[in-house]
Amino acid sequence: MIPLARLLAKRLATSLIVLIGVSMLIFAIARIIPGDPARIALGPNATAEQIADLRAALHLNDHIVVQYGHFVADVARGDLGVSLYTNRPVTADIALYLPATLELVLVAGLMMVGIGLPLGIWSARWRGRAADNMIRLVSLLGVSAPSFVWAVILMLLFAFYLPLFPIAGRISDSYAISSVTGFLLIDTLLQGDVRAFGNAAWHIVLPAFALALSGIGQAARLTRANMVETYDKPYIEMAQSYGFPARRIANHYAFRPSLIPSLTIIGLDFAAMLGNAFLVEAIFAWPGLSRYGVAVILRKDLNAIVGTVLIISATFLLVNIIVDLLIALLNPRIRYSQRPA
Amino acid sequence: MSTPTLDIRNLTLGFKGYTGFTEVLHGISLSVEPGERVALVGESGSGKSVTARIVLGLLQELRTARIGGSVLFEGRELDGLNKRERHALRGKAMSMIFQDPTSSLNPVFRISDQFHDVLRRADPRITRDAALERAAAILAEVSVRDAERVLNAFPFQLSGGLNQRVMIAMALANEPALLIADEPGTALDVTVQAQTLQLMRKLVEEHHTAVLFISHNLGVVREFADRVYVIYKGRIVEQGPTRAVFEGPRHPYTRALMAAVPRLTGGGIPDIDEDSPDFGAPLETHDAEGRA
Repeated sequence: MIPLARLLAKRLATSLIVLIGVSMLIFAIARIIPGDPARIALGPNATAEQIADLRAALHLNDHIVVQYGHFVADVARGDLGVSLYTNRPVTADIALYLPATLELVLVAGLMMVGIGLPLGIWSARWRGRAADNMIRLVSLLGVSAPSFVWAVILMLLFAFYLPLFPIAGRISDSYAISSVTGFLLIDTLLQGDVRAFGNAAWHIVLPAFALALSGIGQAARLTRANMVETYDKPYIEMAQSYGFPARRIANHYAFRPSLIPSLTIIGLDFAAMLGNAFLVEAIFAWPGLSRYGVAVILRKDLNAIVGTVLIISATFLLVNIIVDLLIALLNPRIRYSQRPA
Repeated sequence: MSTPTLDIRNLTLGFKGYTGFTEVLHGISLSVEPGERVALVGESGSGKSVTARIVLGLLQELRTARIGGSVLFEGRELDGLNKRERHALRGKAMSMIFQDPTSSLNPVFRISDQFHDVLRRADPRITRDAALERAAAILAEVSVRDAERVLNAFPFQLSGGLNQRVMIAMALANEPALLIADEPGTALDVTVQAQTLQLMRKLVEEHHTAVLFISHNLGVVREFADRVYVIYKGRIVEQGPTRAVFEGPRHPYTRALMAAVPRLTGGGIPDIDEDSPDFGAPLETHDAEGRA
């Protein structure tokens, strides 16, 4: 798979350039928004001298280009600076909060693909029938309301009126899970505590589903639309005239060519969930990056803002690279067009 | 006489649309004997391809289609079979070759995968290795020498001619009694079309396969078919042995059709009426000796 390696190298290089651009942008924006970070951090009782000292320590008196130079030098050492809000290294804060967000987004992404794609296939295979109409209605509903609305509705329905699921949090307090990866679903299994795993899984269902709903709808609609088009292609008629089983035609012969155009959008939707997760986390009191992100923005915690945005951008780019690789794997024409220069 | 492989009697087809009912086949009858090559000739829209799709049972699944008359396959009334029995015929007892080989093969699967599925129709438990071996043997019959490369390729990596050979090999892989060829190779250039037709002819002769050959190319039909049916606007207008029809066309439409073929010797494109009251003349039938 040499062509794939080339593709990967190319995408990594362009992603790095994007990341540098994002870092400059957010670095500048964080400094343009009004308010003196040193004054906010030290509180109302700080003396002018203390504030001046902190400003000097943060290089805030230097030209912005010089500040960016300090920042790049730090990043090269793997240091994103210290958060003025938590007084801990930003990297440590991110390591603490990011896994919860990633866990939520990954589970939601699995739901999106695991539920949305089969619904789309089913819908296309039985197009015009009752099942198709039902699926289309439901997926339209899913797309037409933002995830935080679904979060509130689901919480009311299935945690409050009908208490099937816990109302908030990641896991019940009675479980003490030491953090290894930060992903509770993995850590509980690493400890061999199946009950804790079940409890964590039970907690993640509602927020992940709320986050995934619009993605599920989108994936189902896209898959259906692309598959209906594919069903008119001569190679499907060929498969039918040879009597290939209808199920195999749907799941293989029609689905795979249709998946390629859907996949880019699904990848973007998946990445967009990182942003939507902020609101869903707020509703379900999910201890992820969102609360941290909102707090540091309000306190004008420069290092933490830049660090949070960078890590989210990096995740976004990573997801896109994975999607591109998947498309290359699925579509032989892309795979073979990566010729050596 | 033995039971015909395919016997179509007074077949009608209509579509129910928003604007009402449109009949496109007004009762056509034709038959194909075992091992016989029969051509169905006519212009675009005359009803050739829908006839083929009714035989395969593909149109019956369309809810807007209304089909009348009867289609007998090896003496069995297709309408009387249930869905499973109909399905069982497809790809095993009858198979089809399409106009454009390259777009009839799925672009994202290797030839080997698709061939495996074709062979699985006859033997559901065939292993991949056995299927590949069998596929290579059939490909050799259509003069594909490097079968391994072809099987490993995606359709877009092969030439149109090679894809056509693959299609022919797939169509004959399960030894069907009836092969329906819907304008085979129309999308290919003439030399490649001629080569693949030669191969197809050789194979159906060897395997004693009956062929329903659908075409608008009179030259090809004359070379390939034993008997000819000329179809015009959903009606058979002339039928008989190929030689008799070509040497003494009697129906005004058949004459117009033959006059419409541009000559290599020049003389411009013939001037043909779009429609003519003569074309509605009754069916002309030639017997084996070519008499009326």
